[in-house]
Amino acid sequence: MNGTADDTGTIGIIVTHGRLAEELLRTAELIIGTVKDCYAISGSDLCDEELVQRIRHIIVDSGRAHAVIFVDYFGGSCCINSARAIDGIRGVKVVSGVNLPLLLDFLTKQGKMGFEEMVRHLVSRGSESIKELDF
Amino acid sequence: MITVLRIDDRLIHAQVVIGWGRIIKPDRIVIADDHVSANAWEKSLYMNSVSPDIKVSILSLADTVDQVRGGVFDREKVILLVRNPQNVLTLIDLGFEVDEVNVGGLHYGEGKEKLLDHLYVSKEERSALRELVKRGVTLEARALPGHEPVILNSRVV
Repeated sequence: MNGTADDTGTIGIIVTHGRLAEELLRTAELIIGTVKDCYAISGSDLCDEELVQRIRHIIVDSGRAHAVIFVDYFGGSCCINSARAIDGIRGVKVVSGVNLPLLLDFLTKQGKMGFEEMVRHLVSRGSESIKELDF
Repeated sequence: MITVLRIDDRLIHAQVVIGWGRIIKPDRIVIADDHVSANAWEKSLYMNSVSPDIKVSILSLADTVDQVRGGVFDREKVILLVRNPQNVLTLIDLGFEVDEVNVGGLHYGEGKEKLLDHLYVSKEERSALRELVKRGVTLEARALPGHEPVILNSRVV
């Protein structure tokens, strides 16, 4: 994997507790239509080794240059096993605290910025979307 | 004091930190594990995953028993985590005293036998559970404090 400015080669993998990943993806599709190159995994019923292997398999099998792994809870098992899965693989980043705004940005802004820039953008988009309403 | 000794192959994770943490309000979580305690990268992974208001210790099985017996945790509420029942046996062999163990999470893997929805055991894990029963330990299975505990003793002998 190498860091090119062309970001068309990025896949997304959402790894969460319960059915959150699947439902996030399904909900994103309600808003922007069919999504490709984004995968959902539930970490809840898998042992650590199986979860790590499944994440690695998706990355390698995709043949793409980059991947962003979205996890729900910083420090949870999905987060820890994602960190294990990408150990030694270049061009893959883990972003915790996945929410719908950041996921939608990932799905709609691919190719508009480089990989590193995209990851930075997603982190700030996710944080900025959490605010107290003050209308 | 050790408030709960939990078998959980995930060790520190959300269910432990939030699910048990908000009920027990531990001062410290101790991971007793020879593999993690000897691996700096794995160690930092778990150290960094808990908010700073809960202390974390990652110790070998032998060091865990030394520190417990030495009174290091006497003034704290501690959640003690091990990855499998074999490690509970080792703790006992090293002089750790325990009447009841929470069997919290043993996840699915190939070739494992299903005991409960959240419990899948390998042959080695099953025979260690059996040995724990023989030594008088109560095996109390539940993922979260609010769940109905299932006593596993009669299911593994």
